[in-house]
Amino acid sequence: MVQAIYMDHAATTALRPEAREAMAPYLDARFGNPSSTHRWGREARGALEEARERVAAALGARRSEIVFTGGGTEADNIAILGRWRCARQEGARAVVCSAVEHKAILAAVQQAGREGAEVVLLAVDEHGTLDLDAVDHALAAAPAVVSVMWGNNEVGTVQPVAAVAERCRAAGVICHTDAVQAFGKVPVDVAAAGVDLLSVSAHKIGGPKGVGALYVRDGVSVEPVCHGGGQERQLRPGTENVAGAVGFAAAAERAAAEQAAEATRLAALRDTLCERIRAAVPDVRVNGQGAAARLPHVLSLTFPDADQDAFLIGLDLEGLACSGASACQSGASAPSHVLTAMGGAMDASATIRLSFGHVTTAAEVARAAELVERVAGRVRIAALARG
Amino acid sequence: MPLEPFEPAEQRNADAPLVVVAMSGGVDSSVAAALLVEQGARVVGLTMKTFCYSGTANNTKTCCGLEGILDARRVAQTLGIPHYVVDMEEAFTRHVIDDFVSEYAAGRTPNPCVRCNANTKIPDLLRRARLMGAEAIATGHYARLEPAASAASTAPGAAAPSAASAPGGPPSGASYSPPRLLRGRDPAKDQSYFLWGVPAEVLPALRFPVGHLTKEEVRKRARELELATADKPESQEICFVPTGHYGEFLAGRLGAEHAALVPGPLVRADGEVVGEHAGYARYTVGQRRRLGGGRGEPLYVLGVRPERQEVVVGSAEELEQSQVTLGDLNWLADPPAPGERLAVQVRHRARPVAARVRTVSAERVELELERPQRAVTPGQSGALYRDEQLIGGGRIR
Repeated sequence: MVQAIYMDHAATTALRPEAREAMAPYLDARFGNPSSTHRWGREARGALEEARERVAAALGARRSEIVFTGGGTEADNIAILGRWRCARQEGARAVVCSAVEHKAILAAVQQAGREGAEVVLLAVDEHGTLDLDAVDHALAAAPAVVSVMWGNNEVGTVQPVAAVAERCRAAGVICHTDAVQAFGKVPVDVAAAGVDLLSVSAHKIGGPKGVGALYVRDGVSVEPVCHGGGQERQLRPGTENVAGAVGFAAAAERAAAEQAAEATRLAALRDTLCERIRAAVPDVRVNGQGAAARLPHVLSLTFPDADQDAFLIGLDLEGLACSGASACQSGASAPSHVLTAMGGAMDASATIRLSFGHVTTAAEVARAAELVERVAGRVRIAALARG
Repeated sequence: MPLEPFEPAEQRNADAPLVVVAMSGGVDSSVAAALLVEQGARVVGLTMKTFCYSGTANNTKTCCGLEGILDARRVAQTLGIPHYVVDMEEAFTRHVIDDFVSEYAAGRTPNPCVRCNANTKIPDLLRRARLMGAEAIATGHYARLEPAASAASTAPGAAAPSAASAPGGPPSGASYSPPRLLRGRDPAKDQSYFLWGVPAEVLPALRFPVGHLTKEEVRKRARELELATADKPESQEICFVPTGHYGEFLAGRLGAEHAALVPGPLVRADGEVVGEHAGYARYTVGQRRRLGGGRGEPLYVLGVRPERQEVVVGSAEELEQSQVTLGDLNWLADPPAPGERLAVQVRHRARPVAARVRTVSAERVELELERPQRAVTPGQSGALYRDEQLIGGGRIR
């Protein structure tokens, strides 16, 4: 019996043992509500605040600047809608983001549009990299926030976030970055980047699902999107997920500590896999390969004249788990807005994303190359044309 | 080497050829999948996404709605087989929905399930299944496939494997005969009518695992297996018009002011105006209209004159016809010769009627019915049978 290979770490990754261990007491005897006065509450409050400090340290932030959320999507929504609703009262007219953001940002931006904001999407080049001159242009629209993701989840392009933040600062505009995919893979430090708002998610770095954080620089105003009892400085009310925060903190510490070594190791695995597949399938296109900076753990490949569904399903049946273009809730494939923005949408093609994590080995990469080659040979549409 | 199984049945028949089951989320395709697993096939369930569900609230109808996908997933989990959803929206829109709309606009009554089987559900799905490495697809249709003539009988629902051909056509050589497509064993459930348009060359790659069972036997098997869909009601509506309000659907596609949807004169065959209709697309041949004012006599829709936006009504006698012409033909066996006697079925629920073939050409077949039939409807299907065998059919002109 062989194990199927998991090569979809950008979607999610296994819970680290350190995280599980750290969480266990808070799923068990230490169940208190951090808002309670009594000793159960105080113990929980202590754990929560210690977790907050550790996440802050991993990001280069102060603990007062970390708001725990229910995940990356929620952090993104607070950043975009919370900023819009706050800033429009002060004369802001627009919300700006790149054209390759995660759906969490794009959907929140569209909602801001329905609430009166002018929506400005910043174009990217064929590698997925933002054009900085477009940012300057957009700043003239009086945006409530400019949001540029640190690293793209589909193709791995890393954006010039510090440069964007600098321009925003010069214009007096708030800058947000969705660092969900970048945290733990490239150095992410809020002070060095100069951003005002930043989103991260626990389950991408080996923490539990259902918890994330929003970094809110001291002095930046944001409204909540959810209303309730005032927890997390009123920005994310609701009884806190103590176990989740503790697990997040343990994972964040490990991820930050390993980041430099992992980045080198994962990039090498990525490049090996890329070269092997290219040798076997010469007309494959590597998305974002020409970008100035890329996430080390993502490899996005487009195969011309191939059936998307058959490819992914075929790989799954052969024992390789990876992903295709973003999926809608029914589970069927949909066209990628990221590839479209890069000018790389291609009819009758299949795009797969292979992504690596701390358990990925060279042996897995070798096997993955074989399986991709085998399935790629089978899903060529022209070879099976009717009649 | 076998994979560590996530789904138990994935490994049970690991060396068998792969069969993809089209799972709609209904009980028939659920049991079809179960039977194939029992028979030793390596089975994968596939649900087709044929249109976008995000825009339809409260869509719990069976067949292709989101509920159907979730049900199919649950059944696949119970059976221990992998299940996937594939996007067929573009092909389905092109082959089925666009045709549905244009037929109604032209004053005919389309049969989208026939178009879907002939284009999307069977051939397109088979093409995709082959790309996945499968050699056959199965559906929950109540129909049977039997090997031609003298080949030995194989597992129920399968044709003789030796007759299976490379995609693109039968092997050259004297003795190849395609499998015969027969009615389902349960006459109340027989769905062979909907399959007349399936290209003959795909027949060797089809399986109909429940075709030799009755509906009650299928439900019983589903209950025994504790499948989530054992008692699910059957889908009555067109899958892409889950509310059943197809007038509203057509208005969405054609515009509410389209000639097919606005009022016009209700006339008798001689041209006498007897009332008003609400848009000719809302009427189908055989529908009854009662007029007020003491007329009493029920009138039936005889047809539609779209160029004049007229709906023609008449008496029950006027509704009968003995001549039927079929176009857009498809053959699953040798076409009939002039003079041959066949049975033709002009509606799914209609009884087959004996008919004599008057003429046959590449474009059309003209039939003389031995007894006049009511409500022979342009756009509907005429399915042709030699005894139990479906030999092909066409669209009624």
